[in-house]
Amino acid sequence: MKILVAVKRVIDYNVKVRVKADNTGVETANVKMSMNPFCEIAVEEAVRLKEQGVASEIIVASIGPQQSQETLRTALALGADRAILVKTDEEVQPLAVSKILKELVNKESPDMVILGKQTIDGDNNQTGQMLSALLDWPQGTFASKVVVEDGKVNVTREIDGGLETVALQLPAVVTTDLRLNEPRFASLPNIMKAKKKTLDETTPDELGVDISPRVKTLKVESPPAREAGIKVESVDELVEKLKNEAKVI
Amino acid sequence: MTTEIIQALEKIVGTAHVLTSKDDTHEYGQDWSKLFTPDALAIVRPGTIDEVQLIVKYANEHKIALVPSGGRTGLSGGACATNGELVLSLDRLNKISKVNKVDQTVVCEAGVITEQLQNTAEDNGLYYPVDFASTGSSQIGGNIATNAGGIKVIRWGMTRDWILGLKVVTANGDLLNLNQGLIKNATGYDLRHLFIGSEGTLGIIVEATIKLTRPPKDLTVMVLGLSELSDVYPVMETFQQQLNLTAFEFFSDKALNKVLSHHDLPKPFDSPAEYYVLIEFENESEQTSETAFSAFEQVLENGHVVDGVISQSETQAQQLWALRERISESISHEIPYKNDISVTPSNVASFLESINTIVKEKYPEFEIIWFGHIGDGNLHLNILKPACLELDEFVAKCKSVNPNIFETIQQLGGSISAEHGVGLVKRDYLEYSRSHEEVLLMKQIKQVFDPNNIMNPGKLIAL
Repeated sequence: MKILVAVKRVIDYNVKVRVKADNTGVETANVKMSMNPFCEIAVEEAVRLKEQGVASEIIVASIGPQQSQETLRTALALGADRAILVKTDEEVQPLAVSKILKELVNKESPDMVILGKQTIDGDNNQTGQMLSALLDWPQGTFASKVVVEDGKVNVTREIDGGLETVALQLPAVVTTDLRLNEPRFASLPNIMKAKKKTLDETTPDELGVDISPRVKTLKVESPPAREAGIKVESVDELVEKLKNEAKVI
Repeated sequence: MTTEIIQALEKIVGTAHVLTSKDDTHEYGQDWSKLFTPDALAIVRPGTIDEVQLIVKYANEHKIALVPSGGRTGLSGGACATNGELVLSLDRLNKISKVNKVDQTVVCEAGVITEQLQNTAEDNGLYYPVDFASTGSSQIGGNIATNAGGIKVIRWGMTRDWILGLKVVTANGDLLNLNQGLIKNATGYDLRHLFIGSEGTLGIIVEATIKLTRPPKDLTVMVLGLSELSDVYPVMETFQQQLNLTAFEFFSDKALNKVLSHHDLPKPFDSPAEYYVLIEFENESEQTSETAFSAFEQVLENGHVVDGVISQSETQAQQLWALRERISESISHEIPYKNDISVTPSNVASFLESINTIVKEKYPEFEIIWFGHIGDGNLHLNILKPACLELDEFVAKCKSVNPNIFETIQQLGGSISAEHGVGLVKRDYLEYSRSHEEVLLMKQIKQVFDPNNIMNPGKLIAL
């Protein structure tokens, strides 16, 4: 079984994101970039499926600038077999991402596509769903458990109020949630070996996909700063403030 | 008498800031060593430097012993009140000034939490590099009084290197303003440095001017596994030659297992290893990563390491650090008897091996956990309390191992306390590291600053 995993290079989860002075976006110059945490989980799940003998090949793909190569190399060090970089310096929105992935699916014919449920930069949570619609494949989103058996994949999903398990006919699209697995560290010997693995490059043009944005960003602003709390001297004062100032009781 | 004292203190700081309950005297009377029974007279929490001066004047007049108290995260009993002393807590002196970006300095009162100082620096695009496991609880005043070190010493030095100015209240209640934040100042004895590392025995540190620096770029962490202790030298040599290291830490497999059994953290790798080193470096460019990889290849090919991992994100860097930083907390319930020692880095292996031999011979029931900042020759030796032994009996037994350990240190020209200070735990062993003449001079200095011996009496040196 062949698995395609999509990964994205984003601002590191631990970096304090700052809005650009001209409000056109967030500051990315000189900021640490890493693999999107949900994508790390997607790679880990694919590698585990390979270790269980379920998957035979893992192809990892990323769409972005030249530096996205580093993210792909990380995925290769974690256990992916080969990588595809779809190179572009333009902004790529979820619809364009899913169209590009659809083209890659047509080329590579995987049995399953695993993606993060969302990236922590756009927080859109759309790509997996759109890809499944474009391919007309079943989807198992927000996966906390993935079991492949008899040409089917059982995906346990984290939904409001509990867990739901869906059985999907392969080929299928799976998006990962936080509790699916704990990604491993990249081992140094494997990083060395990953250098010899194939990393192909293509472009949205070569794939025949129009990536021009459909959504226009008007303005990016920081959330309002939280005001400091106050200490009250007595319960009476607290009640008084809750009643008259906060107006919650 | 006690009532009178309490009343006098309440007059200075207000009734809310003199604590006498059993919980409070217990809490404020001890530090993280947990080896001493707390017995504090009361706790007084001044809110201004003036109040500190008034309290000290009063204590000096009435010959009341004072224990200055910060975050009490010390491990040598330096902040314990075990003899009915008055605990002077600096908790409320926690103001932090605006960062002076031209001078790259910030003025902190003694009670500022170390992590808060680090965060303030970061918010201003700067960096305070002294870092250790307890920064979330420890206070800057205590850091200065013990010349705290930690995990970045190999690159940025100890607390001493970051203090440009100090305000201290001496035993007669005077306020000294030492070095006023100057970088250059050649005007005789630098009293500031006497107070750094004085463990509260000369006066009370109330405020400090602290130097900040440029933040490091993309700190990347590797954890490597070694099968033999002696492999640590070629590994250290190889990496130090090629990279600007910001940390070179060491821990044993036993230490790692303690952490993994207490915390939900991923194991770095499955290959078995007896010892681990954690290497942190500033990953300035792709070139730096390549250098790190080739250094790894070199030590792997020569058989010095068995396996290794490298952080791919800040989260992973933190997870790898947690393997090292959470050791202390993971063994604390086994009441470890701690020794924090240093030798020159090249003597570390021979020191460690001779101590292992001594303990195995004399105390086969003891389990030893080793970890430390091996890059600067600093090792933490922890003997865990076997469940079958009572605390007193255990401490007594450990104390009888001490002379063996300290003699070995003396022979190697090392220090019996690298960064934990002397306090009560190491006081009687000071002469293994400092000559008799030196200790005599230290006592004379103490008498000049504190003729009535009210400043943390009995700690560091016995008068």
